[in-house]
Amino acid sequence: MKMNKILLIDDEEDILDVLSLSLRSDGYEVFTSTSGEKGLEEIEKESPSIVLTDLKMPGMDGLDVLERVKATNPDIEVIVITGHGDMDSAIDALRYGASDFVNKPVSEAALHIALKRAREKIVIREKLRAYTLDLENMCQIAIGEVKRKSDFQDKLITSSNDGIVATDENGIVVIFNPEAEAIFGIPRIDVVRKAYYADLFPAEIADVFGLMFDNGKKMGDVGWKEVIIHRNESDVPVRFSATLLYDGEDIIGSVGFFQDLSEINRLESELVKSERLAAIGQTVSRLAHYIKNILAGLKGGTYIVNISLDKNDTDKLRTGWHMVERNVGRISYLVADLLAYSREREPEYRICLPNDIVEDVCELLDGMAMENQIEVERDFDPSIKEISMDPDMVHRILLNLVSNAVDACIFDLDETKQHKVRVGARLEGDNLIRFEVADNGCGMREEIKKKIFSAFFSTKGGKGTGLGLLVVQKLVQEHNGIIDILSELGEGSTFIVRLPYGKVE
Amino acid sequence: MSKRVLAVDDDPDIVMFVKTVLEENGYIPLIAKNGETGLSMARDESPDLIIMDVLMPRQSGIRMYRELKDDETLRNIPVIILSGIARRTFLRSQEALSEFGDHPVPEPEAYMEKPVEPAELAETVKNLID
Repeated sequence: MKMNKILLIDDEEDILDVLSLSLRSDGYEVFTSTSGEKGLEEIEKESPSIVLTDLKMPGMDGLDVLERVKATNPDIEVIVITGHGDMDSAIDALRYGASDFVNKPVSEAALHIALKRAREKIVIREKLRAYTLDLENMCQIAIGEVKRKSDFQDKLITSSNDGIVATDENGIVVIFNPEAEAIFGIPRIDVVRKAYYADLFPAEIADVFGLMFDNGKKMGDVGWKEVIIHRNESDVPVRFSATLLYDGEDIIGSVGFFQDLSEINRLESELVKSERLAAIGQTVSRLAHYIKNILAGLKGGTYIVNISLDKNDTDKLRTGWHMVERNVGRISYLVADLLAYSREREPEYRICLPNDIVEDVCELLDGMAMENQIEVERDFDPSIKEISMDPDMVHRILLNLVSNAVDACIFDLDETKQHKVRVGARLEGDNLIRFEVADNGCGMREEIKKKIFSAFFSTKGGKGTGLGLLVVQKLVQEHNGIIDILSELGEGSTFIVRLPYGKVE
Repeated sequence: MSKRVLAVDDDPDIVMFVKTVLEENGYIPLIAKNGETGLSMARDESPDLIIMDVLMPRQSGIRMYRELKDDETLRNIPVIILSGIARRTFLRSQEALSEFGDHPVPEPEAYMEKPVEPAELAETVKNLID
């Protein structure tokens, strides 16, 4: 609105002339009307910001004009011109919303002040309106923001995979999301603002909340705990954590998060089961394969025995019988390994000579080694005396390690090497015996090294059970010992076993 | 004149068994304990048939078989593979080797899984060389 537009209304034209002259010279844009009716028309047309009207006019008088203006354009400031001493009319006019009045004859000074006030009023009103608008906008924005946040949180809570139960400071449930309904098997409507946490939660959980309310900040958050919730028909395994809600120092409520573990547990047990089935399948197929090889040897042996009997060929009979015996031996080893692997066994300490055990193992494998041009070197400390340990365990450990070492030489691609297996035994400190089996055979790649102690892993095709090192590891552990492995692809492997022993007085 | 059959296996029991079956059926057995010896004997002795395992140390069985079938002069000696692994597994491993860049080799003339019955082995040998 232009602040310097003024409409003058007076039935006396010379007054209009004088006033408009003076106002124009003050910089106002002045319009004039000689009656109330004409004045109203002019207002519609020009929208002045200030109307200066005489009160006493024929036809529509100043008060009528004032009334109409205030009804249709309340923002227009109306200053009335009153006859000298006509205080009553002046008061009426102020009551109807005139911003000011000036007495006749109009003095320039009085008019100046009245206009100034009217202008100030307009400015203040404009400012006020701008402020109000601003405030309303800001309010709107803030309300929108709050609503959005609350909607978002509401959705977050509603769609959370965790059951969320919140209480107020008195422990009355205020939030109970759909997942909580599912976990506790109670509809939200029965709980919210109706149930006390202790009525809802099983004792185990309720105690935690009780402690929390009693101890406040001292208690801190409650980390994840696993509990079972007994529902009507079924038990639900649940993980939960809880915390108090604070506003400054004041407790304003509590919240608990609940995770249903049944699905996770089911998946876990299924995974374990399927892994076990796969392992059993592998084991069975590897064992079947290995036994098939033994069976082939046995069949061959009995075939040769039968033929030799028909022909009375004693030499051949001996060969056939030797085959049968050897394969019976292989079965015995297999069974012993299987039992050693599957059975928990405490070591049975007996007094024995370690070097005798190692020598026996070497002798058992000398034949096979010689057939493949492999030397078995004995490197025993002759000063080792009788000690107390489990000789059967040690024998089985070394037999597996030395026969692996021989295989590693047989399997070596490098035929220029003079293959050798070194078997060492010596004492370390005053309570450890150290056995070392070293070969210069094929060695192992890193990924093979990582797998050698895993169940039924073998690199020997059908000729290994995958049991040997598994048994070695188990026996060494049962004897409270440790095993170390050094291996370089193409260079060979060294297995070092350290076992504690008992002294013989 | 008796036909000569080369038997290659690292398992002495199998070698002894195959040797006896061959002798009993009127063949002259030649014995090798690994693929390397087997191949050189095949070259030197030109046997009428080869019975071999494929699972031998140092992959010598698989290499021997491929070299036999790659060699102009040896290719026509019939081969019986006598192995602990199933025929299907063997053929798949050969396919895999071919995929890794080796050119494909023909299938063996016969494939037998251990343990094998003496009569069955004798029958198969007879069918291939008599």
